[in-house]
Amino acid sequence: MMGNLIKAEFRKILTTKSWWALLIPAAVLAFAFAAGLGYIANEFGNILTSSEAERIASALGIETGSLPMGLLAVGRAINMALMFAVIIGVFAVAGEYSKKTITTTFLTAPNRAMALTSKMITYISWGALYGLAAVAAASLGILLGVDSERLPTASQWLGVAGASVLAGALATLFGVGVGALWKSVAGSVVTLLLYMLLAENLWISVSYGIWGNDVAWMGAVLPNGALNGVVGAIPAEVFGASGVRVPGMEDDFAWFLQNVAGAPGAFSWWGSALIFGGWVLLFFGGGWLVNQKRDIT
Amino acid sequence: MHDGSGRIAVQNLTKQFGAVTAVQNLSFTVEPGSVTGFLGPNGAGKTTTLRMLLGLVTPTSGAATINGRPYTQLGNPARVVGSVLENEGFHPRRTARNHLRVYAAAIGVPDQRVDEMLGLVGLTPAADRPAGGYSLGMRQRLSLATALLGDPQVLVLDEPSNGLDPEGIAWLRGFLQSFAKQGRTVLVSSHLLSEVEQMIDQVVIVSAGMTRYYGPLEQLRASQRSRVLVQPADANALVSALREAGITEVQPAQDGRVAVMGATVQQIGDVAAKAGVAVYGMEEEKADLEQLFFQMTSPQYSGQPMPQQPQNPYQPPPGPPPGGFPPGPPPGAPPQSPPQNPYGPGQPGQQGWGGGH
Repeated sequence: MMGNLIKAEFRKILTTKSWWALLIPAAVLAFAFAAGLGYIANEFGNILTSSEAERIASALGIETGSLPMGLLAVGRAINMALMFAVIIGVFAVAGEYSKKTITTTFLTAPNRAMALTSKMITYISWGALYGLAAVAAASLGILLGVDSERLPTASQWLGVAGASVLAGALATLFGVGVGALWKSVAGSVVTLLLYMLLAENLWISVSYGIWGNDVAWMGAVLPNGALNGVVGAIPAEVFGASGVRVPGMEDDFAWFLQNVAGAPGAFSWWGSALIFGGWVLLFFGGGWLVNQKRDIT
Repeated sequence: MHDGSGRIAVQNLTKQFGAVTAVQNLSFTVEPGSVTGFLGPNGAGKTTTLRMLLGLVTPTSGAATINGRPYTQLGNPARVVGSVLENEGFHPRRTARNHLRVYAAAIGVPDQRVDEMLGLVGLTPAADRPAGGYSLGMRQRLSLATALLGDPQVLVLDEPSNGLDPEGIAWLRGFLQSFAKQGRTVLVSSHLLSEVEQMIDQVVIVSAGMTRYYGPLEQLRASQRSRVLVQPADANALVSALREAGITEVQPAQDGRVAVMGATVQQIGDVAAKAGVAVYGMEEEKADLEQLFFQMTSPQYSGQPMPQQPQNPYQPPPGPPPGGFPPGPPPGAPPQSPPQNPYGPGQPGQQGWGGGH
């Protein structure tokens, strides 16, 4: 039964253009950001002779010249691309409400729980695919923009790739949850974009400016920061700015590095994943519950 | 699991949307082997009832079952019940074939069934066009094809003839009747009796969320008897003569004529002639289901009464001053009377007398 419903969900996605109409810009964005940021970070690395950089480099036991600037760029680029994973998630349920196909979807499933479970499984797969595409495109980008000695090591890269796939799946489920709660594609997409790209970042910066390091945790706990932290914590960690802190690094500089990596106040990647998982549970669970009883008129 | 009976049972079904009671204590059953019409004016609660039956809307109280089970306990429900609903959507950029393939997968029927259904509803030539470009009639056909994918035992249709051309309606009528003849169940809603009258055997009539009638259409038809509207010179004399002749079901009609039930035009004419009462006109009113349906369902919107038949030029204005002209105009000219002479001489059968200026 569940297999049939998942097959139906895959057909739904593959018989419209949304999946690639969102995947292509996601990949392009990841590539462009990785190449652009990589280039800037590379230049930044070239002029980085401050005591901070020396300290990081020596703490990490490497030469300043081979700081993995590419890793920072990759993390940031993937995080940008994953916005599209959130958006395709919105279409899962809200898209069906707006096209009114939700009626037939519920009518052809044994019950709503199974209909939503099949969507969950399907969209986890699609989110993972988006994560994979994001890391692939971003990796190509840094190949172009970053000197080869500043590219991430194989194990660093594998870590980022795994985190990207995980973050993609979680991001998509988050979108599914928001869309399931709200039913409106346009409303959900616009709100999510405004919130994740603008509102939260603004709030984090403003609150950091006012209250300083006491509120740095917010960047790791709010949805966008937590999602970004899943991937971003890995480069931030490499720079000693999250997880294990490099001794003697000043808070402000650590925060700056986390921001560059797109993971302000980040915990370790798995800590971020757990926190964002909580947000997913909240929204997806809420959407799930609401849809169990919602009248389809 | 379900009992496979093909029976639809609605018991004391009630649905409130906030302060609005859409359906109130509705009960009826639909048996297999027949087409049952579910009739009522727009806003009578038909769609809400059907959606409760299909598990799309949760009842406030009461229950609706198919094969003895609520929809969500039917297992693979689309294998048992097919439904064509109003307001059902298609992704505008998904082709009809792909739409059907999606739901064929969900139901678990082979893709070959998709082509069969496209052929059945006559959409094969348009199968690879996006459903967004479909006409209303084509969308109805696609809905029906979707409903039939699982080869269901029960078919529920909400206003299916909306948007269908006469040819499409005739086709649907034939299809539903043959579907029911296979021992399957068909429940079809409409706000127009005339639209479904020829395809249904049973009827459930609802209005203002309540059942007004439920049973065979034939019985409903039989309950409505024809009557004869008579225009006598002397109504009292005619009524007493009729009573003497044993014709007692006599009522004054709204327009001043005498309504006689249980007698033919010939019988009334004979009685009138014997009693020496002049009769200016007689009109036989056939049993009109539509009118009966209207009477049953009209209390829902019994607001302003219509002004006295303004469309009917044959009808005199209400309440003319009595005795204006000799020999006193009849209270209402019979329909046969031509309208040229507003000062009707009282003998409409004999034009030219006293009029014609």
